[in-house]
Amino acid sequence: MAMKDLKIVGQPVKLRDLDTHVTGETVFYEDVRVPRMLHLKMHRSRYPHARILGIDTSQALSSPGVVTVLTHEDLPGKKLYNALAGAGVGPEDEPVLAFDKVRWKGESVAAVIAETPEQANAAVAKIKVEYEELPAVFDVEEAIKDGAPNLTAHWPNNHYVYPDDHRAAQIRYGDVEKAFAEADHIVEDSYQTQPIEQAPMETNGCIAVPEGDGRITVYSNTQALQFSLDVTAGILDMPTSKLRFVGGTVGGGFGGKVDIQPEPITTLAALRTGRPVKFKYTREEEMQVSSSRSAWRVYVKDGVMNDGRIIARKVTTYQDSGAYLRFSSYACMKHCGHMPGPYTIPNVSVDSIVVFTNRTPSNAMRGFGVMAGSFALEVQMDKIAETIGMDPWELRLINAYREGDMKAHRKEVEDAGMVESILAAAEMAGKQLPENFRNMSSLDRKAG
Amino acid sequence: MASGIVSIKVNGRAEEVVTGAVTTLQDVLRNNLDYTSVKDGCSQGGCGACSVIVDGELRLSCLTPVQEVDGSEVVTLEGLNLSNSITALQQKFIEKYAAQCGFCTPGMMVAITALLDRNANPSRDEIAEALAGNICRCTGYLPIIEAVESIVAEMAGIAGD
Amino acid sequence: MAEYLRPSSLEEAAGMIAAHGSTLAIVAGGTSAMRFAVPYVAYAMGVRGLGMNEIERSSGGLSLGAGVTMRQIRDSLPIPALQDAARGVGGPALQNMATIGGNIFAHPPNGDVATVLLAMDATVTFFTTNGERTQKLEEFYDSGAQADGLLTRIDCAAPGGELVFLKCGRQRFNSRTVISVAACIGLDNGKVGNACIAVGGAGAHPMRCAAAEQALIGRALDDAAITAAGDEAARASSPGTDAVASEWYRRRMVATYLCRALRQIAAG
Repeated sequence: MAMKDLKIVGQPVKLRDLDTHVTGETVFYEDVRVPRMLHLKMHRSRYPHARILGIDTSQALSSPGVVTVLTHEDLPGKKLYNALAGAGVGPEDEPVLAFDKVRWKGESVAAVIAETPEQANAAVAKIKVEYEELPAVFDVEEAIKDGAPNLTAHWPNNHYVYPDDHRAAQIRYGDVEKAFAEADHIVEDSYQTQPIEQAPMETNGCIAVPEGDGRITVYSNTQALQFSLDVTAGILDMPTSKLRFVGGTVGGGFGGKVDIQPEPITTLAALRTGRPVKFKYTREEEMQVSSSRSAWRVYVKDGVMNDGRIIARKVTTYQDSGAYLRFSSYACMKHCGHMPGPYTIPNVSVDSIVVFTNRTPSNAMRGFGVMAGSFALEVQMDKIAETIGMDPWELRLINAYREGDMKAHRKEVEDAGMVESILAAAEMAGKQLPENFRNMSSLDRKAG
Repeated sequence: MASGIVSIKVNGRAEEVVTGAVTTLQDVLRNNLDYTSVKDGCSQGGCGACSVIVDGELRLSCLTPVQEVDGSEVVTLEGLNLSNSITALQQKFIEKYAAQCGFCTPGMMVAITALLDRNANPSRDEIAEALAGNICRCTGYLPIIEAVESIVAEMAGIAGD
Repeated sequence: MAEYLRPSSLEEAAGMIAAHGSTLAIVAGGTSAMRFAVPYVAYAMGVRGLGMNEIERSSGGLSLGAGVTMRQIRDSLPIPALQDAARGVGGPALQNMATIGGNIFAHPPNGDVATVLLAMDATVTFFTTNGERTQKLEEFYDSGAQADGLLTRIDCAAPGGELVFLKCGRQRFNSRTVISVAACIGLDNGKVGNACIAVGGAGAHPMRCAAAEQALIGRALDDAAITAAGDEAARASSPGTDAVASEWYRRRMVATYLCRALRQIAAG
């Protein structure tokens, strides 16, 4: 099909709600008006790792304006969840409200529902939780050492276990050790990224409204409406037909609104009080409590020939999932599949491991899994170029995959465009390349 | 606590608020008066989504005690919506794709109005500086700046005719 | 929530401060107080109604009401160093609200305007239940920045030389301050006659830097003297670490930016 036959591709498409965005009339969840609305505020763990010995809510319950206080004992259905459980990912490892232990600083322990946000905040401060502080671990490689503090019986060694008892998402292709022995150069380094907050303009939140017909309507800004509906139904032990989730208008997400933190507890609060309840993260909660992008540590070892060909690449990656799984097993698998980058390398070995630490659970953010991998690989490519004294553009062009090449995870390359992309970038950047490189093509490895 | 009556004019309409405790102008506009274009992105003056015009001056409503604007005229985007100039600006925003999630957009509109009231022919740099207190996480700002540039050019063209 | 008090006179305001002490927060522009003070006290006292927003010029000197805003400084004060400092405070909405008085009490690393005022050897005047009290801004900071009344006025003489302000930030507009420096240098026959140097973001409040001043006085404003002054200022700094910058980085930027400011003055 030629471009001229396409009706949508290549054409600008107007956002459906752009007309009301510019007049301020778009209704975000918080703009929904309901009478007699209550406000929910969360009492959160002050420790990164501690055993809960007792939760005393009596003073909070008698605090002015408080309607009710919810702890794990009030949960009618599941006490543990994972957003992707419905898609077969698991196990469900994250408490809706902490019960036996807290595993990160900021974890939800008890919810106060009061007439005003200020009254709810005042009562949150009156909740007394007795803790026995436990040793915590914050580093991925420390966490998987023998004798490291264990977060949960789900993960005896503090790392995720993939199907068939694999500790890592893995690629084995060719023989890296043999190729390392034959290589002219070995280039080796480690790369570390930090957690990054998505920082949407609108913080996470929802309003749950009990309806006359026994249903509850939930106005939410979640990016994961169906997951949230599913999880909420499980936690409330309610059929999904009793829950009406209204969403789609999200004041910025970037992955930061797939946590499914506000909806289940707010829906339960509405059910218990019979009144509309709003739960809105403060900006501080958005920064400190909502999930971030994971921190990743990536070790790369490459075997390189004098002519620039990379003949072997070995990658070992530790993803810091934080205290719970959330989407990490998916992200780590994606990271693994991204290796060894857009290059054809005949010998590849990859181990990417999801590690649990006492840090804020991490989750989605734009290209999660891939971004940290690309960062590590492309800095490594520059390092190789420097080591062997080759132009970094030429090094990439030599190794870029071509149409029909076999990728390390045994899928043939289709619609390759890497060479053309590099050449176009070189032209835009004013980079002069020798003619044989300018004549390279994705369709023909021998060209150029 | 002693209560007092605060009288303000919002978008041309006289309003009275009875309050004794510290109450932000943002809270009054959003929650008492239902002007929901006034967004609450941070409650700490960091994002600009709650920008309004008080007596002709751009202000952050989240850091303004309503008691401090007693007797003032307050304008939100709802109040600007009927003017020809904002309608033309809104059209440019649509043409240039200058809004994505839409959450910062009302604050942007108000801040741009305040800019153009002070300076009808701002340079690109002056536009960027005038919007420096309004954070957008989606667009990367360029389409917004281009929308303002194009409305400025259009207005100059009309003035030159 | 704090009760909102609206005094109608300076006497009434001073009385409220005396009566409520540390349980009262003063709200002028609100940009700092509404975040850092009001949520934690029983009383908030709004002082916008008291005016205090006059700018008076006399024989080269200046008298600024404590309620003068960043916007007023930018629009109405032809002192580039003060204008630069005011321009760097937040975005336009914030500049319409934030006051010069509030800037003197701003949490570090904020307080860029106060840094310039220190380099101008300004005085601050408080209205107390015992009447007016005036002291040097430097002495006010050195004695722990404890106000016993309402800050009403800031006065300064015409700068005794070339006055330059530089801010190290993270972005061009509306940047949090890493550190800021202000230097006022009077040259006498090619030698530094008087030097007034202040650093912001490098301690609990903006501070004068006597060691850096001594490194310059009586010497030509050459590379050796400038480097020595920068080193002294870095040594005298005790900056903090926050999300914007580390103590390590801030200390180095104090030297870098002070040297830059002094070279700018030396170049004329």
